[in-house]
Amino acid sequence: MMDDALRALLLALGDDELIIGHRHSEWTGHAPHIEEDVAFSSIAQDEIGHAAAFFSLVADIEGSDPDAIALGRKPDDYRHAILCERPNGDWGYTLARHWLYDTADDVRLEALEQSAHGELRAVAAKLRREERYHLLHADMWMRRISRGPVEGRARVADALIDTFAEAVAVFEPLEFEEDAVARGLLPVPSDALRARYVERTTRALDDLGLPIDVTIGADRAAEFVASAAGDLIVGDGTNFETRDRSSGAGGRRGRRSEDFEALWDEMTSTYRENPGATW
Amino acid sequence: MAALEAVMDPEIPVVSVIDMGMIGKVDVNQDGVVEITLLPTFSGCPAVHEIKQDIVAAVAAVPGVGTTLVKTSFDPPWTTDRITTRGRLRLKEFGLSPPTGEGPVLVTAIGLPPRALCPFCDGTDTVAESPFGPTPCRALYYCKTCRNPFEQFKPV
Repeated sequence: MMDDALRALLLALGDDELIIGHRHSEWTGHAPHIEEDVAFSSIAQDEIGHAAAFFSLVADIEGSDPDAIALGRKPDDYRHAILCERPNGDWGYTLARHWLYDTADDVRLEALEQSAHGELRAVAAKLRREERYHLLHADMWMRRISRGPVEGRARVADALIDTFAEAVAVFEPLEFEEDAVARGLLPVPSDALRARYVERTTRALDDLGLPIDVTIGADRAAEFVASAAGDLIVGDGTNFETRDRSSGAGGRRGRRSEDFEALWDEMTSTYRENPGATW
Repeated sequence: MAALEAVMDPEIPVVSVIDMGMIGKVDVNQDGVVEITLLPTFSGCPAVHEIKQDIVAAVAAVPGVGTTLVKTSFDPPWTTDRITTRGRLRLKEFGLSPPTGEGPVLVTAIGLPPRALCPFCDGTDTVAESPFGPTPCRALYYCKTCRNPFEQFKPV
């Protein structure tokens, strides 16, 4: 019998990696140039491997099998952040989401390295060494973009502004989180992780000069500010509006956007045709 | 242990799982049940399944062995410093530049070393092209001396 708090934690972690791995793999054969085709394909392979590691922990305890966990569930049973299921969009969105997600992953893996659960601790330590390369890649791109032509900066800036709230929702509290925190499975509560994440990302974006003072189109400059609570404030210098940060939330409780069904259908179609088949 | 020396990495068939530092623990009990802990190199590596099967086949053939069980574990996490000196030599002979770094590499310090040893001409005037290559474990380099592209086993 699986313990609810541990299962909720492991599924959130595994599902995030599985779904974003699937999205990254969609660049194979389509990326702007060959090095990035290889990069995203390799990163995708890592992410699927990471999902397998988390699902193996679930499988060991439940007596089930990682493939069934990854591919045999109904769409409502997945627990990933909505950020992960969004389509790749243009290259600007892809890079922004890549950076936002892998920075979030590093924040939580760092915390999980102190988990009271021995095997989860070991998995977190191992995965963080591999994820280091993902972060190097994402950081490199953000640096390039910040120093590059206006169109590139504008596309990434727009994507950051539109996506930041969903990225912050990676840290919405998990189901049974109180129990997970009390037992040290999740050594740092989601709220605290979210605060660390917001601080780290806003500081990095500030250092990059992104997307401050980017001119989008002929007549609009956008300034991007995130408050400590994770609310996103976008302004044109005179008028500010707060974006509702709940738009990308709910993933940890099984809320899915309109983008997930097609992804789930494609990702699980081979498995569903012949569940349990060996290859 | 001798049997494990013969179990080669399916992708790099010149190095054994011993040379790659992939064997964690080996427990043998009186009934001849052998339990081996395998430490996966890169978690996305698709060869782990094959390696497990190869280990079972090799060990089961040893006289006196009853059942052979192989389980994978991330405890301790596999790191490139577990590769033996002989393993590094074999990688180089195979055409893969060995991972740099002796001893544990801090997570925060991992990046591609700016120069890797060219496995073909031993040159050090090399350029890091990409941290991503044809498999999760390989990074791409170029040697300016002999003008060959080459791959490096990624330090992790």
